Amino acid sequence: MKGIWIRVLLVFLLVSGLGLMPLLIGSAAGAGGNLKAGFIYVGPIGDYGWSHAHNAARLIVEETFPWLETVYVESVPEAEVGTYIDRLIQQEKVDVVFTTSFGFMDGTLAAAQRYPEKIFAHCSGFKRAPNMATYMADFYQVYYLNGLMAGALTKSGKVGYVGAFPIPEVKRHINAFTIGVREVNPTAEVHVRWIFEWYNPAAAKEAAEALIKDGADVFAFTEDSPTVVQVAAQNGLPSFGHYSPMFDFAPDYVVSGQIVHWEKFYLDFLAKVYAGMYNTTNLQDVDYWGLLREGAVEAGAKPGMLINPKFEGALKDKKVRICIGIHLPDSTCIGVWIEISVYELVMLRLEQMKDFEMVFDPFTGPIYDRKGNLVIQPGARATYDELLTMEWAVEGVVGPWPGEP
Amino acid sequence: MGWETWLIGTISRALAYGTPLLLGTLGEIYAERSGVLNLGVEGMMVMGAFSAFATAYTTGNPWLGLLVAACVGGAFSLIHAFVSITLRANQIVSGLALTMLGLGLAGVLGRGWEGKPLEAALPALTVPHLAKIPGLGPSLFVNQNALVYLAAGLAVLLWFVLYKTKIGISIRAVGDDPATADAMGVNVFRTRYLCVLLGGVLAGLGGGYLSVAYRPAWTEGMTAGMGWIVIALTIFAFWNPLLGLVGAYFFGALYHLSYRLQPWTSPELLKTMPYVFAILVLALVARGTLKRRMNAPAALCEPYIRGEE
Repeated sequence: MKGIWIRVLLVFLLVSGLGLMPLLIGSAAGAGGNLKAGFIYVGPIGDYGWSHAHNAARLIVEETFPWLETVYVESVPEAEVGTYIDRLIQQEKVDVVFTTSFGFMDGTLAAAQRYPEKIFAHCSGFKRAPNMATYMADFYQVYYLNGLMAGALTKSGKVGYVGAFPIPEVKRHINAFTIGVREVNPTAEVHVRWIFEWYNPAAAKEAAEALIKDGADVFAFTEDSPTVVQVAAQNGLPSFGHYSPMFDFAPDYVVSGQIVHWEKFYLDFLAKVYAGMYNTTNLQDVDYWGLLREGAVEAGAKPGMLINPKFEGALKDKKVRICIGIHLPDSTCIGVWIEISVYELVMLRLEQMKDFEMVFDPFTGPIYDRKGNLVIQPGARATYDELLTMEWAVEGVVGPWPGEP
Repeated sequence: MGWETWLIGTISRALAYGTPLLLGTLGEIYAERSGVLNLGVEGMMVMGAFSAFATAYTTGNPWLGLLVAACVGGAFSLIHAFVSITLRANQIVSGLALTMLGLGLAGVLGRGWEGKPLEAALPALTVPHLAKIPGLGPSLFVNQNALVYLAAGLAVLLWFVLYKTKIGISIRAVGDDPATADAMGVNVFRTRYLCVLLGGVLAGLGGGYLSVAYRPAWTEGMTAGMGWIVIALTIFAFWNPLLGLVGAYFFGALYHLSYRLQPWTSPELLKTMPYVFAILVLALVARGTLKRRMNAPAALCEPYIRGEE
């Protein structure tokens, strides 16, 4: 008799544990909606990073559109996305599925072929189908702006950067950041440490501590937690937030940062699906690429605060000579030289990148990698494909760079 | 940069990162010494981390947070104790269930707590006078947490209790041969319950250290596998608290160096270094003459049923 109770209890424990962990299908029921969207997240929505930001956007669209109902699944293993899509479509009866991790790409494509009457959108990938679009918001322009500020603030000439994985997305961030740093401080270096995880606060902490021990005095990062900001602040050093607004973690030390607005995409896409502009036959070429111009990303310590007022003075004091035109490697300028403060330079570049014509982009040639190869021709801009496959490290990056060509 | 600065940096980071591992390992050593394997360390740690953060955030007192973390960790471990000691169920299954339950529960309870900075973090302190000792001072006594010293002291105390007192003899007897211990008048159930409870209290405290001192914030799953390193360190330490201290700090040093050395060596290789080293030591020890002295509790994982041999 006792044996049965033990088994019942064990099963109960296992089921409650399992049930609580990955399968929290949170149905935020807006009754009577006539479009239903399902979101599949790779991490927990409590990570205060990637999945958290997608979920915050989901809440905004659900709030905005009375005709929309949403459900989500979090912490979904990348290889099992197909099963979760089946479940969302068959049991939850969703019309639109969003999958929000690069690793979901092939599973989403297979599902799009399996359910030709449903609409799919995959974040950060490159495979599309008549009923499957892609979307991405990218921070490289924001990192460049942060780099300008970091270059003005470093005293040791060493800026620290904690990277998650050495993949093109992160390398693009580091390169754009370094281009900014060197534009105002041509001898400064960006020292990089990799943690090989998207989310591991202890790893991020020790990587940042290692950079501090090596003399870095300003920090930026690409990983999914506010750890680097906190470590920098504990040591009295300035830093740049990533992904979510991190100002509150260190109001005296967060200079600026990168903030995402996924809702820009979700609002636009779902409105067009609802209006019938997007259907199951015309998504083959629908690829959202959100930069500053699109409002998909924002530079700031928190929304609406581009630069922490505590650092405005330092940025206004630092003067820099820049070339308006084409800046050749031998320091000649086809155009005019002007002298402005870093503060003004940030404002100028922000306006130029926000401009409808996007009159400035940090990846404008001539750009040399740190081995001395010309990677972007003078006057040319990195193409979309070049941005997505970027493996080289720009001059000024110091540290390991797995996969360097 | 001179080798002294390298050494000082490495030691001071080893202490900071090694402390939660040490706390967890000390607790797991006691639980396993009494014959109960508890794979729920990760779950107890993460519950400790959440409850410490929530308490410190609400009350503004990090010490109260740590106290609550210890209690929550202890309470959580009693689930495992009840299932595995009283009901004599499979310890591995029950421990795994505890880990999943802890991660899930802390995640659900923690909704809405993430992204909040903790004003009332446990301050890092610099010990007066001692910090001025050349070399030793900056490595051991500058910018560390009070809990670092508490954990180190606890390691010595728990070693003393385990090897030099009657209580320690009883615990080891229960873990090696519960039937004989029982015949000699040791209360097997009570001993095991208390050891598992101690394990939970210390794991909870280790989790609390993470969220109010080491990195004062709450994010879901923030223990990120530390509980599993604790299980490995327990074996690595041959179930000896003092070796646990060495193991935890050693792992901490390797962990720090795996980031510090990146400019010179392949970062992928460095990342595996702490783990490869642990496996190497285990393999060497398992082969060599040390095997006899490995000291694994003989009745580990075996439920005790009175009167059955």
